[in-house]
Amino acid sequence: MNPITPIINGMSITFKHMFLKPVTLQYPTERPKVAARYRGLQGLKVSHDKAKCVACYLCPTVCPAKCITVEAAEDANHDKYASKYEIDLLRCIFCGYCVEACPVDALKMTSEFELASYSRKDFIYSKERLLEKQ
Amino acid sequence: MVNLTINDKQVTAPKDCTIYEAAKLNGIKIPILCHDKKLKPFGACRMCLVEVEQMKGRQIPSCTTPATEGMIIRTDTPEIIKARKLVLELLLLNHPLDCPVCDKGGDCDLQNLTYDYQVDSNRFVDSKFQHEIDYNNPLIERDMNRCVLCGKCVRICDEIVAFGALTFIDRGIETKIGCDFEKPLDCEFCGSCVSVCPVGALLARPFKHKARFWALTNHNSVCGYCGTGCNLTLGVKDNKVLTTVYNENQGFHKGQLCVRGRFGYQFINSENRLTTPLIRKNGRLTEATWDEALEIVATRLKGGNSVAALATPRLANEELTLFKKMMLDNIGSKNFDNSAGYAHAALTEGFVRSFGSAASSASILDIQKSDLLLVVKTDTYETHPVIGFEINMGVKNKGIKLNILSDKRGKLSKLPGANTQVHIPGAEVAVLNALCNSIIDQKLADDSAVSLPGYPELVKALAGFTPETVAATSGITAESINKLAADYASAEKALILFPTGLGYAGHTADLATAVANLAILTGKFGKEGCGVLCLSEKNNSQGAVDMGFYPREGGMNALQILDACTSGTVKTLLVAGENPLTSYPDNAKVKAALDAVEFLIVSDLFLTETAELADIVLPACSFAEKEGTYTSTDRRVQYVKPAINKIGKSKSDFEIISSLIAKMGGTPPVTPAVQFAEISANTPGYESMTYATLGNEGAFAPVSINPVFVVPVAAQITAAQGKLALVTGSVLYHNGTLSQHGEGPVHVCPDAYVEMSRADAISSSINDNDLVTVSSSSGSLQLKAKVSLRIPEGVVFIPYHFPAAPVNKIWSGSAVTMVSLSK
Ligand code: SF4
Ligand code: SF4
Ligand code: SF4
Ligand code: SF4
Ligand code: SF4
Ligand code: FES
Repeated sequence: MNPITPIINGMSITFKHMFLKPVTLQYPTERPKVAARYRGLQGLKVSHDKAKCVACYLCPTVCPAKCITVEAAEDANHDKYASKYEIDLLRCIFCGYCVEACPVDALKMTSEFELASYSRKDFIYSKERLLEKQ
Repeated sequence: MVNLTINDKQVTAPKDCTIYEAAKLNGIKIPILCHDKKLKPFGACRMCLVEVEQMKGRQIPSCTTPATEGMIIRTDTPEIIKARKLVLELLLLNHPLDCPVCDKGGDCDLQNLTYDYQVDSNRFVDSKFQHEIDYNNPLIERDMNRCVLCGKCVRICDEIVAFGALTFIDRGIETKIGCDFEKPLDCEFCGSCVSVCPVGALLARPFKHKARFWALTNHNSVCGYCGTGCNLTLGVKDNKVLTTVYNENQGFHKGQLCVRGRFGYQFINSENRLTTPLIRKNGRLTEATWDEALEIVATRLKGGNSVAALATPRLANEELTLFKKMMLDNIGSKNFDNSAGYAHAALTEGFVRSFGSAASSASILDIQKSDLLLVVKTDTYETHPVIGFEINMGVKNKGIKLNILSDKRGKLSKLPGANTQVHIPGAEVAVLNALCNSIIDQKLADDSAVSLPGYPELVKALAGFTPETVAATSGITAESINKLAADYASAEKALILFPTGLGYAGHTADLATAVANLAILTGKFGKEGCGVLCLSEKNNSQGAVDMGFYPREGGMNALQILDACTSGTVKTLLVAGENPLTSYPDNAKVKAALDAVEFLIVSDLFLTETAELADIVLPACSFAEKEGTYTSTDRRVQYVKPAINKIGKSKSDFEIISSLIAKMGGTPPVTPAVQFAEISANTPGYESMTYATLGNEGAFAPVSINPVFVVPVAAQITAAQGKLALVTGSVLYHNGTLSQHGEGPVHVCPDAYVEMSRADAISSSINDNDLVTVSSSSGSLQLKAKVSLRIPEGVVFIPYHFPAAPVNKIWSGSAVTMVSLSK
């Protein structure tokens, strides 16, 4: 093969891209469009002004990274609810198994992806932080 | 043996088994829902259907059908699968399906079967059950919406527990399980029904929502309360004992437990546990380091005979022997004892004299093999409930005759055919002597008796105890005495049971010898189903006796030690786990002794009333946190491994004593195993035992018997006009003072009470729950009144476990105390 040919091929690709729409986002001024199926930060769904979660312990059981902590308690009506629900995002691998396991559809994965933080303890998401904002 | 063909496989099975059992024995699984191996066949659920060729291929329940010779059985044809699916569909039709919030999830037979048979839709439509849920008691939640009407709870409560709290009520689709008059559950809360319920209809509330079953680590252990030595499984998560897990294959009792074993475990992780050593500084107990505390203790212990020790028989054998060794070798004092000195006297003095051995000559397993049981005090069901279950099963299933000699009636008296003879408190020894007298008189004594040492002396001594004379003072007719004697002597196999413990001051060496005479006279010992079983109070009471943790060769016993504290002869008192202020007789005397002693060291799990008076308090740990062996009342030695890490900075008594020995210049053993090797080398009956050979089952330490007749001293009872006889003892829900820290026992029996007969209540115009002042010559005590049918006229009963109302304020250790009641 002519030693010049690969160079010409390469240059032609470079040249072509000068006329295409850029792929790179000018983050943070430009925001990405997150797909609906994206697996970002978990959110606890709310229904009747309460978290839907009934503290069944299935998500902590299925979680491969063992990063969910649930503690159940009994409310005044003898109903079971999660007195503590915590996800350690430093360990979460965003596999979405927790959402899949939930028998009452209480958990979802949001499009929230900006999860960086300065201290380790800020990566522990408590029930209050995970509750869906309305 | 019968030959069968199951699923084309040729198998054999014992003659008296059902098809289900035959299949199980041969490794063929048939699903069940209402069957339980401990209960009688019932056949309520139809999950276990099989086809039998000889029965024209009809589907029959395998759990109720006996296997007969030549049966050709199929367990999994498509028709059977279809039928089982139908059963499940019908069960699920009205079932709430709230598995996510149901604590049974993961351990639920209905859930598992639904999964196995893939019942994911239902051909029928109906509304769900709307039964009210019973939240009325703090221990057992009853949600009849989830019930599958298997009847196991009803049957276990009747067949084994003999309480009969539950039954089927209403008919057809309305059928449910309920209590009488649909009242909330109010029973003895043994939790047996919860343990067998295949679904989440009956749940343990103390464990409610705490964890899923699969998240628990199960640890085999041995109950830390009474001397029965039941095996238990502790369910542990995050270093916390969250529950006891039912295991139907565990122990002689097949996983059955009483309320203490099942619902009394909370003391282990109690928030009130001591977590650091405390030293009294300027009159206040303040936190200190172990080093600091042990240094002071070690210096104080160097006092020879002026040092004394009281230990609880809840310590492990290894700890007791090491403790004893420290007292003898490192300190040089013979003054150590357990259980107030009298709670073990039946063994250490009574049985030693009569049988030449400080142990019972029968085991719990003998109960069901006997023909007649003679129970002294009905409390056996209250002190050792699981032994009560054994008695109940023997009486109901095997037709064992039950005779009871007691100062009050109790649960045992309610068993079918039970013959209860109620005597005046304190007359037990006289009545037993009269029984011996009557046996000799009726020529029912065994031929071997005459030649045994002490026979002539006994005959002479018994002359004053004819049934007629004893009848006059004991409240039992001569006729009944003769009948009891004849029953006992003529039964082929007969077993005598009697409880001992801190609450039973009257159960002394003399009672033990009187009982032993009866057995020796009729030759009813050393054989299967015969003997005398002295039911020791604490989990290791028998162990403390076997290890010799009581005064011998001139040492002082517990009560003498307390006297010596008052007089100043004992200067340092080391109390390990005992709580004499509540459990020993004569509160004022104990208090004076503990106040007077120069230096008081207490090691305990909790800051007990006794520990509050101490100069140094050392935090000890519970059975769930340490390694060691415990000897049950019938000398079954059982090995326990730690289930959780030690709470806070607490240490086991083994570690505490080891460090003290080291500080005093001795060399302590490295591990409990080393100490146990020493035990097995030096303790009769324990030879060749090692942790490995004990395994999960434990092993019996054999008892050698050398019978001798000894004349027992019968107590003189002096009746006082207008006064009532106080008997003390244990209630079903408690054991010692430790159960005060278990949620279950405390919820069920929160306070002390004074129980009296209706007649006495009427004559003093006292109603149930009235606050009554009970006074004796030594003091008075305010208690709630409980009017009951089981107490005879002229007698009141007060349990001893409660620090808030210590019965020892009015009771100073005599077998019978005369008291008066006022409102
Ligand atoms: S699986 Fe759902 S209901 Fe169960 S604990 Fe997790 S979020 Fe709650
Ligand atoms: S009883 Fe079993 S099937 Fe019913 S809700 Fe509870 S776990 Fe589910
Ligand atoms: S807890 Fe025991 S006594 Fe009460 S209903 Fe259940 S089995 Fe019967
Ligand atoms: S409550 Fe439980 S044990 Fe009792 S009948 Fe119902 S399902 Fe069976
Ligand atoms: S307290 Fe006694 S009878 Fe009850 S479970 Fe424990 S060992 Fe068994
Ligand atoms: S298990 Fe046989 S009928 Fe229920």
